[in-house]
Amino acid sequence: MSTALLQWLAFALFAAIAIAGALGMATTMSMFRSGVFLMASFVGVAGLFVLLLADLLAWLQVMMYVGGMLVMILFMVLFSHDPGGAMMSEMPGLRGPERFFSLGLRAPSHEGGGSDHGGHAMPQMDMSMTTPLRRFAVVLAALAFVALAALLLLRPAWRQLDAMPAADSAHRVGELLMGKYMAAFEGAGLLILLGIFGSVYLARPSAHPGSAARERLQAAAADAPVDVAEAGDPRELQR
Amino acid sequence: MSAVPLTAYLLVAAALFAIGIYAVLAQRSAVMVLMGIELLLNATGLNAVAFWRHTAAHDYSGQIFTILIVTIGAVEMAIGLGLMLLLFRRRRTVQLDAWQALRG
Repeated sequence: MSTALLQWLAFALFAAIAIAGALGMATTMSMFRSGVFLMASFVGVAGLFVLLLADLLAWLQVMMYVGGMLVMILFMVLFSHDPGGAMMSEMPGLRGPERFFSLGLRAPSHEGGGSDHGGHAMPQMDMSMTTPLRRFAVVLAALAFVALAALLLLRPAWRQLDAMPAADSAHRVGELLMGKYMAAFEGAGLLILLGIFGSVYLARPSAHPGSAARERLQAAAADAPVDVAEAGDPRELQR
Repeated sequence: MSAVPLTAYLLVAAALFAIGIYAVLAQRSAVMVLMGIELLLNATGLNAVAFWRHTAAHDYSGQIFTILIVTIGAVEMAIGLGLMLLLFRRRRTVQLDAWQALRG
């Protein structure tokens, strides 16, 4: 087989992985599956990076996203109400990709009974995964794709070079990062530091009202039941 | 040298971007919205690398853009996680429409 055909085959494979993963992320009912689908999409994009001869970026992509962000995403998914999507997949109105990417999800009560959190535990809660804006979002996303594709296909010709990048592109990228783009590099470092401080400050447990503050809040709630009572639900404050 | 034209890569990136727009607008859970934002950033990175390869392969600035985009994405995800933990402790939910008011 010729090199061109092989390149097209690899491109088709990685592009299919990237797009199918993204579609699965956006449409499946299970948030856990969403995280895994998103990582599949990132791995597909990493393959496209390799095909574009940006191998350093492909490694970076795999290590940053699959190594770092997947852990964060799966940790966050565990906070959601129905991470496995077993209840949601029982909904009757699933169509198209939502149905396809949610295949095989099933509530545990159907397999052997005796489960204490079946599908009808909290009927008063609005369980749906999507906002009422969903139809509008579908239309807007389709419009965005059509507009971008039209812009791409009807564009004036770009001047394209057929130069090959150097064999050790990592070396050149490192020199640029430490030379011409030093300010951006150091700025990103500062941003990471501030981001770590900010998120640790936000997430630390003592951000709760302490016991003294809690008593003050409860006293205030007793005094002014209209205003403060809704702000500080006593059930919440006992936690 | 490269058989696949630039437009093909850009079309893939456009599809990823459109799916990301859908996820950001239509999902109710904060985690899913963050994932959609990651998808948008990733589509942008793919665009930058495709343009680098096909129009300026001798200048590596395109790769620097993508490195910075990945960095920003990681920081954004960490701060999103911190915010989500804080709001989950206060409201016991991760659905975004429970967080319409900053007060309380």
